[in-house]
Amino acid sequence: MSRPRSHAEYLSRLVPPSVAGLRRRSLLAGAAGGGVLLGTGLLAGCGDADPEGSGSTTVSLGSNQSDPKPKEVTAKVMDGFRASSGITVAVNTVDHNTFQENINNYLQGKPDDVFMWFAGYRMRFFAGRGLAADLSDVWSGLSGMSDAFRKASTGDDGKQYFVPSSYYPWAVFYRKSVWQQYGYQVPKTLGELTTLAAEMKKDGLSPIAFADKDGWPAMGTFDILNLRINGYQFHIDLMAGKESWTSGKVRTVFDTWRGLLPLHQPDSLGRTWQEAAQSLQQKKSGMYLLGLFVAQQFRDDEQDDLDFFTFPEIDPAVGAKALDAPIDGYMMARRPKAEDNARKLLAYVGSKAAADIVVKNDPSTLVANSEADTSGYTALQRKAAELVGSATEIAQFLDRDTRPDFASTVIIPALQQFIREPADIDGLTTSIENQKKSIFTD
Amino acid sequence: MTTATRTGHAPPAPLRARRPLRPARVVLHVFLAAVAIGWLFPILWAVLTSLRSYEYTAVHGYVSLGGWTLDNYLTAWRTAEFGRHLLNSVYITVPAVLLTLLLASCVAFVIARFSWKANLVLLGLFTAANLLPQQALLIPLFRLFTQVPLPAFMSDSELLYDSYWGLILVNVAFQCGFCVFVLSNYMKALPRDLYEAAMVDGASIWRQYWQVTMPLCRPALAALATLEVTWIYNEFFWATVLMRTGDKFPVTSSLNNLRGEFFTDNNLVSAGSVLVAIPTLVIFFLLQRQFVRGLTLGASKG
Repeated sequence: MSRPRSHAEYLSRLVPPSVAGLRRRSLLAGAAGGGVLLGTGLLAGCGDADPEGSGSTTVSLGSNQSDPKPKEVTAKVMDGFRASSGITVAVNTVDHNTFQENINNYLQGKPDDVFMWFAGYRMRFFAGRGLAADLSDVWSGLSGMSDAFRKASTGDDGKQYFVPSSYYPWAVFYRKSVWQQYGYQVPKTLGELTTLAAEMKKDGLSPIAFADKDGWPAMGTFDILNLRINGYQFHIDLMAGKESWTSGKVRTVFDTWRGLLPLHQPDSLGRTWQEAAQSLQQKKSGMYLLGLFVAQQFRDDEQDDLDFFTFPEIDPAVGAKALDAPIDGYMMARRPKAEDNARKLLAYVGSKAAADIVVKNDPSTLVANSEADTSGYTALQRKAAELVGSATEIAQFLDRDTRPDFASTVIIPALQQFIREPADIDGLTTSIENQKKSIFTD
Repeated sequence: MTTATRTGHAPPAPLRARRPLRPARVVLHVFLAAVAIGWLFPILWAVLTSLRSYEYTAVHGYVSLGGWTLDNYLTAWRTAEFGRHLLNSVYITVPAVLLTLLLASCVAFVIARFSWKANLVLLGLFTAANLLPQQALLIPLFRLFTQVPLPAFMSDSELLYDSYWGLILVNVAFQCGFCVFVLSNYMKALPRDLYEAAMVDGASIWRQYWQVTMPLCRPALAALATLEVTWIYNEFFWATVLMRTGDKFPVTSSLNNLRGEFFTDNNLVSAGSVLVAIPTLVIFFLLQRQFVRGLTLGASKG
């Protein structure tokens, strides 16, 4: 398929222009066919054979939490909702990747009343297309949500479309035992980080574990360098296509990265992040910049040995307070079948009660609600929560903060090319800028 | 082989058992063995991987031996809920195959037995539909399916979208072309005398179709059924885009359940893939003869 010429054309491909008309027509067809469908639209409930009349005690939820543990936690949260409200949630679980790839179809077809999604550009995009419902009234009843989370839940029109439930930060992870053994100290500046890495090299470790076979892990490195060098606002503007990739600012990012590359594990393009994480776990690498999910590669008895620090300061004027912490949460379909119940469910998943259930059952995630009882957190979780709590700005990760086509078709190959040939920064940034212009055209 | 007998002085059969080993023959066999291994390698590799624990391969790499376990199969069966999804596949495959064969044989019968002007056009239409890339029809079909209402007792989605009916229809539509092509060629090869005799005996068109043609087409139908079951069972694309409810996915789409959000255990996915492939393998080995015949069916016009 050729690349769309304009922003409008791109959008029109994602959302067929006839969708609005389609809905009207299908409603008419529904009315002619049964009459029943007219009042409720075509957004019938999922999974249960309940007649329309009993819709008052059910609500449907599209879930991408297909991994066994999160799936179980979701079920427990929904049980909690039923216990407190008497409303049964019909959970439609679709595996995480399929859900994400199908989201366009899903939202235009017949989505569940409430569905799980991500904060950031990906949320604003669908909110802007009118495929998600305004949740400002749910937000007015929520307590314990920080301003950073409110900001991350707000669409371009200033209304909230998203209820955050959990998140995880990106940071530099290491094994305490290894650092104690060699007497390493947490670096506070880029200079200290380079010195530390050189020391690690001398001690026979790969200083920084690194992998980019899947394409996305290197985005984390780019993001954090960009946030440290140019700050949060530049990150957002760059991702929105407003800033130029050929600017000196971006070049500095790549330049700094080039200086750090020799300290990274070599041949990273043939390595998955699991393998890189295992090199950390096997004490072959000194540290690894990744999300909190790196802990999945560690055995239960090794969890306490895992620690992290936020990426050190590069420019004192910018500081080291911003970071990537992707937020997962819930949204409501544009025309839910059981709207009242959907709003109740959304208020519940954002509440302290739901957060408490998550904390009690899942050690690999952090909950968004600050009033939640976090005494069940592991030391690592508590530290991660503090880190994000003290963050001045929370970015959502490169591919969640920009257009999906830009992230996957331009940035992934570009970063991989940079890792292969770090010398040609000019050529690289020019190429990204040219491709950006053909994608962000308005 | 027959040349020896024709020359007249061939030795008796038991004596000519061994032929001299010619270089060309050696090359041929090396080539055949290499190709066979090339084809089998990915499958054997998957089976091998599926029998080993992730912890072992994570430490020792995949080019190693050890860490044998059957746990992957148990976990795959349980986490991906293959039991339910295999049943979903049956709901889709069985009606779709039966309907395809019924409809295709009707069209083929008309094309083969009646000569009227639109005959060739009709055959062309059905064959051409075969050549259409299915993906190109995604958007129109998707929109169509979200507009066609179904009564609630047929599908809880109350639409063709997200219902087994929709998937069955799509599969029937896309498979009919090939079946019509094959069956019409097969039917054309049936002796005309049979129909003349049937007509003399006063058999109606329906009777000619159902009681004369269909029994004679049994081998062709068996071959097609084998192929179609495999194809429809393996179908993945439509089941992913036209279904919304995770619990209604057929087994091929539900294989994705084994991929984690951040982490994919390849050993587990291998075990799942082997499980999903088993029904096709069973069908193939049981009906091997039909399968091979199916490949050449319709290749020549009797």
